[in-house]
Amino acid sequence: MRSRPATFSAALHRLGLNRLLLHMILLIVSTITAAPYFWALSTSLKLRRDVFTPVPQWIPPNPTLQNYVDLFYMAPFGLFLVNTILVVSGILVIQLITAPLAAYVFARLRFAGSGFLFGLFLVQMMMPIHAVVVPNYLTINAMGLLDTRLAMMLPFWASGYAVFLLRQAFRQVPRDFEDAALIDGCSGLRFLWHVLLPLAKPTVIAFSLISVVTHWNDFLWPLIVTDSPAVRTLTIGLAMFVQQESGADWPVLMAGTIFVTLPLLLLFLVYQRKFIESFMYAGLKG
Amino acid sequence: MRTVNQRISPYLYLIPSLILLVAFTYYPILSSVYISLHEWNLFTPEPKFVGFENYTILFGDPLFWRVARNTLVYVAVTIPITMAMALIMAILLNERLGWLRNAYRVAAFYPTMIPMAAAAMLWVWLLNPGIGLINHYLASFGVPRIEWLYNMDWALPAIMMTAIWKNFGYFMLIYLAGLQNLPGELYEAASLEGAGFLHKVRLITLPLLAPTTVFVVVVGIITSFNVFDLVHLMTQGGPGNRTNVLVYYIYQHAFRFADYGMGSALTVVFVVMILAVILVLMRLLERRTHYEV
Repeated sequence: MRSRPATFSAALHRLGLNRLLLHMILLIVSTITAAPYFWALSTSLKLRRDVFTPVPQWIPPNPTLQNYVDLFYMAPFGLFLVNTILVVSGILVIQLITAPLAAYVFARLRFAGSGFLFGLFLVQMMMPIHAVVVPNYLTINAMGLLDTRLAMMLPFWASGYAVFLLRQAFRQVPRDFEDAALIDGCSGLRFLWHVLLPLAKPTVIAFSLISVVTHWNDFLWPLIVTDSPAVRTLTIGLAMFVQQESGADWPVLMAGTIFVTLPLLLLFLVYQRKFIESFMYAGLKG
Repeated sequence: MRTVNQRISPYLYLIPSLILLVAFTYYPILSSVYISLHEWNLFTPEPKFVGFENYTILFGDPLFWRVARNTLVYVAVTIPITMAMALIMAILLNERLGWLRNAYRVAAFYPTMIPMAAAAMLWVWLLNPGIGLINHYLASFGVPRIEWLYNMDWALPAIMMTAIWKNFGYFMLIYLAGLQNLPGELYEAASLEGAGFLHKVRLITLPLLAPTTVFVVVVGIITSFNVFDLVHLMTQGGPGNRTNVLVYYIYQHAFRFADYGMGSALTVVFVVMILAVILVLMRLLERRTHYEV
């Protein structure tokens, strides 16, 4: 019997097709998925009168940055950006303190009730985020924290997902390391900080990227706990801006949309490999 | 000999996380159930115990059933399409493609990086009935103008399209990770036996990817039941509540009408529904997996 290589192109070959077809399929799909963003980018660089053309113009005939200038006059998007960065990093920094501590305990120490307690962390990982917004809103209200940046961070400071990922990483560090460290007088928290965390660096980076992307994009929670533009994040700022503009001025609306997405997308394009590896790795383990 | 310090330190390290988990995950679960048994709204500012009255009102309201139906339709349509696209793209991208592979991967994955809110705005613009790109290109195929987000029948499909575009790249990546872990020897052996490409996909790839599929299904269900941002920005639940979904309905009750009792009852129904759907699907998938392996 004739052997065939296990590739898709081999199968296409049998059907009388070749690698070119594979590229064509992928090219078409990629064009379709990329089109919405390029169309918005193009719109954001157009004059208003150039938007209403019978035939769509992908390249702005009179490119301008005026829409972005107008955007900043019409709503404090710079402030929204600062708020978003503060909230996202405020969440991550505390997560990176609480999660390694808990993960270390579950990975390395034996104690009564460890299985049950770890289960508690796992349940939070599976919890649909929108299932707790009503009671959490009431809690934040009772604490007098409504309309603060702190309110947007507080519920995310403990992450079952981070604990789960880090526990896996810590468990892969051989026992010998711990014994050796112990002889050098390095134990407990110092062992966690100087040995375990550096060895788990890929996991820490993966989780950090996912946390940043998740909370940069948060919507419902910031929407219900904020009330004033002074503390709003980019996504909420965009939503309010859309309502205030009630449509029509598409170039400025698209400038706002592009501005909200740009920081993360640029980071993603520069550190593509790291982002893709992180989402792959953490997703698979999750 | 373990010192006292060694014996209490595990609990000490867990305290920060545990306090937060109890306050913002466990207490809320119990409190939702508790509040759902009370009347608590603008007219009754102090919670008043009413038993299951909120649930009775809810289940007697045709709008609730409309919302539940919308949500289930949304979940049942978006998940299979998203998964199929993700799987096919992953299988194609797992081939040797040279430097272009990275470009394809970025094109499929970048929507994961942008906020749902921004995705909603991109598509509101594309779906604009008068000067939107989609109607323009459809017109060149002779399709008459569709009112998309303003049309009773097209609004929900339009939101589903946006969601599929936004989400499939993430699941594609998960499938790619799964594919890269498959043992190459099996494929070589199958080739020696003369198995063709589609045979191998059906007999090796799909069964071995079953654990990945279970993961994708569970994450997909949780993600799609949580749909809110798209609805809030694209249709506000309209036209005629045709795009109103559970989380949006919770939001309306709790934060527009300040009806916490009803909002909590809806939350409980929401969680029970997700758990039920996950359990049923796990049963089905388990059976399928056993047959194939």
